[in-house]
Amino acid sequence: MSRKPEKDLISSLGEALSSLRLTIGLLIVLAVVSIFGTVIPQNAAPEEYLRVYKAATYKILHILGFLDMYRSWWFVFLLALLCLNLIACSVGRFRLTWRLLSHPRERLEDPEWKSLSPKKSLSLKGPLPNWISSVRDGLAGRFRAPKVLEEGGTVHFWAEKGKLSRFGVYFVHLGVLVILGGALIGFFYGFRGNINLVEGETASRVTLRNGGQIPLPGFKLKLEQFTVSFYSTGAPKEFKSVVTLREGDQNVRSESIRVNHPLSHKGLSFYQSSYGAAGVEKAVLAVQEKNSGKEHLVEAKMGVKAELPGGHYAFVLTRFIPDLQGQGPAFQVMSLEPNRPHENFFVLQNHPEMEDRRPGAYRFKVREIVPRYYSGLQVNKDPGVPLVWTGCVFMIVGFYLTFFLSHRRLWVRLSNQGKDTLLEFAGSSHRNRIGFEQEFERMFQALREEMLHPGKHSKERGEQA
Amino acid sequence: MISSKFVTAVTFLYLFCTVLYFSYLAFRSKKLGSLAVISTWVALTLHTVAILARWIESYRLGFGHAPLSNMYESLVFFSWCITFIYLLWEVKLKTRIVGAFAMPFAFLTIAYAALSPGVSDRIDPLMPALQSNWLHAHVITCFLSYASFAISCGVSVMYLLKARREKPGQPEGGMLSLFPTLESLDALIYRTIAVGFPLLTIGIITGSAWANYAWGAYWSWDPKETWSLITWFVYAIFLHARFTREWRGKRTAVLSLIGFAAVIFTYFGVNYVLSGLHSYA
Repeated sequence: MSRKPEKDLISSLGEALSSLRLTIGLLIVLAVVSIFGTVIPQNAAPEEYLRVYKAATYKILHILGFLDMYRSWWFVFLLALLCLNLIACSVGRFRLTWRLLSHPRERLEDPEWKSLSPKKSLSLKGPLPNWISSVRDGLAGRFRAPKVLEEGGTVHFWAEKGKLSRFGVYFVHLGVLVILGGALIGFFYGFRGNINLVEGETASRVTLRNGGQIPLPGFKLKLEQFTVSFYSTGAPKEFKSVVTLREGDQNVRSESIRVNHPLSHKGLSFYQSSYGAAGVEKAVLAVQEKNSGKEHLVEAKMGVKAELPGGHYAFVLTRFIPDLQGQGPAFQVMSLEPNRPHENFFVLQNHPEMEDRRPGAYRFKVREIVPRYYSGLQVNKDPGVPLVWTGCVFMIVGFYLTFFLSHRRLWVRLSNQGKDTLLEFAGSSHRNRIGFEQEFERMFQALREEMLHPGKHSKERGEQA
Repeated sequence: MISSKFVTAVTFLYLFCTVLYFSYLAFRSKKLGSLAVISTWVALTLHTVAILARWIESYRLGFGHAPLSNMYESLVFFSWCITFIYLLWEVKLKTRIVGAFAMPFAFLTIAYAALSPGVSDRIDPLMPALQSNWLHAHVITCFLSYASFAISCGVSVMYLLKARREKPGQPEGGMLSLFPTLESLDALIYRTIAVGFPLLTIGIITGSAWANYAWGAYWSWDPKETWSLITWFVYAIFLHARFTREWRGKRTAVLSLIGFAAVIFTYFGVNYVLSGLHSYA
């Protein structure tokens, strides 16, 4: 007694899972909740939410998972349900399709003839056997070689084309599942992090989004150079990090990473994602001899001795201060004037007049500050990506089969009509009926022409040859 | 810029074509119909020239790129796609009446580009994220799909107009007599979506492939991405309802309208209402 309802429950659950109503319902629900996901900012900082929502609303949205909706348990549950539904529906329908194609109706009974459309008939002079080969050749030339069956004085011809079109939908569904499978693999076995490097630095670890760190697998990455270039309009044109990959003591690869041109190595991909100034690389200074008034432009690297032409004076930029007591950028300079003790002083970019009051034989002006850049590289590992693209290919193939091909079948039967022969011609297409009806009509007319005026055609052919 | 002047000229030409198609509908004169078709082909040719001219101008400015990179350029291209796809259908179907319900979309789109002060026609150099060959594949497939959906929307309007007026057993009169039968309108709604849906899918896929190169993630649930997926869901519902639940007629026509509303929101709404990574167009 108690077993029966259980079984009913399971079978009705299975029925519900494989129902198309569930598919449509799920698609509607997914579409609607996705709208919420685009209206409510995702993964923002709590302060940002509190600026827009009341504290209570924020709390409710947080508890319901609307602030990280696409990763919330119920969104994932909906996707999983959609997958189950898709599998259940596809398996059920696949069986029907398989049966239909593996047991084709090669010979139709009268009631089936009646229900077919389009359909044509034609009376032919002379006994039936005279016509068999011309029907067969006519179909073979215009459609596909038919299967011929003789039964009780009636001859049946059957041919089909575009069988694969019926499988298109399964390719699409498989594609969806493979893509979601790829996403799942990425979720469990992938990671996403960052490396920020100043020119010249070497990284051996990646900082993950959650703050943790993991080592680069068996190699190190050195940022040799970062450059930004601009269009004449001032808009950025290119961000480029030139990097070297080192394994042990060996440089194994030297590459540049640009936006849209990531670098892949050992399953990891490196993307140019941000940049910024991290101190000063060098400065261009105008150095004037107070006595002669002669001015020299000198390019000085931080911490490296810079000499004036002729070599009778040198200095070092020892420190850069972005803002010295509210007076703007300043360099600490160590003057290496011969025969004098080394002097230390500040040179301000925005206050060149201060130099006039400073004792010493040389006056400094800051002409240009070339910043030292850091480059922000996004680092990804996503072993699911190839699977995602495979799924996409499945989908595109499936769409081609579904929408641009159709499964078309033709039936012809010849039966005795007194001394003469009756030809009946019928067809069906599982999709694009209008297009098929036109094709059917063309084929019928050509066949008719050929059979009623065979001489004309063979003559024409002869002429063409 | 010469190309902008061309675009303005094309805008008025499209208005002219739209009026001609409407007059054809109202007066049922074959001559008006032929005139509408000829003007539309002329307009499309000029439209193509306008796009090429802008392309050439961008090279003159020293940062040449295909004109598919901002709101203005995408609107102009969208309008081109609508006219192009519509004319292909017209050739195939040998009926002109759909033009009255397709050309308004082409006109309104290009008019928005040409006349709205909020849409700048300046040619800007490509920012680094846009410098990719995926740009072309992505934009072209997306807008061809949007154009197919626009035509499907126009045909749905025709279907609903005709279905509302037509009573069984009563011969229809007036402009509705020119409309194709309800059955062939219904088939046309499906056929335009059967073209648009695979194109939208390829548009989303090429977008993801590009995002994977540029941003390092093939899917980020960015509002633009999510809305394109919502649009995809709506048309997927349409196809499933039609194939397996055998929905026909009014219900599928309404679904096609909802689908196009989602397209419009994906295109404009996301940029003007929501914010995200995809801020160019």
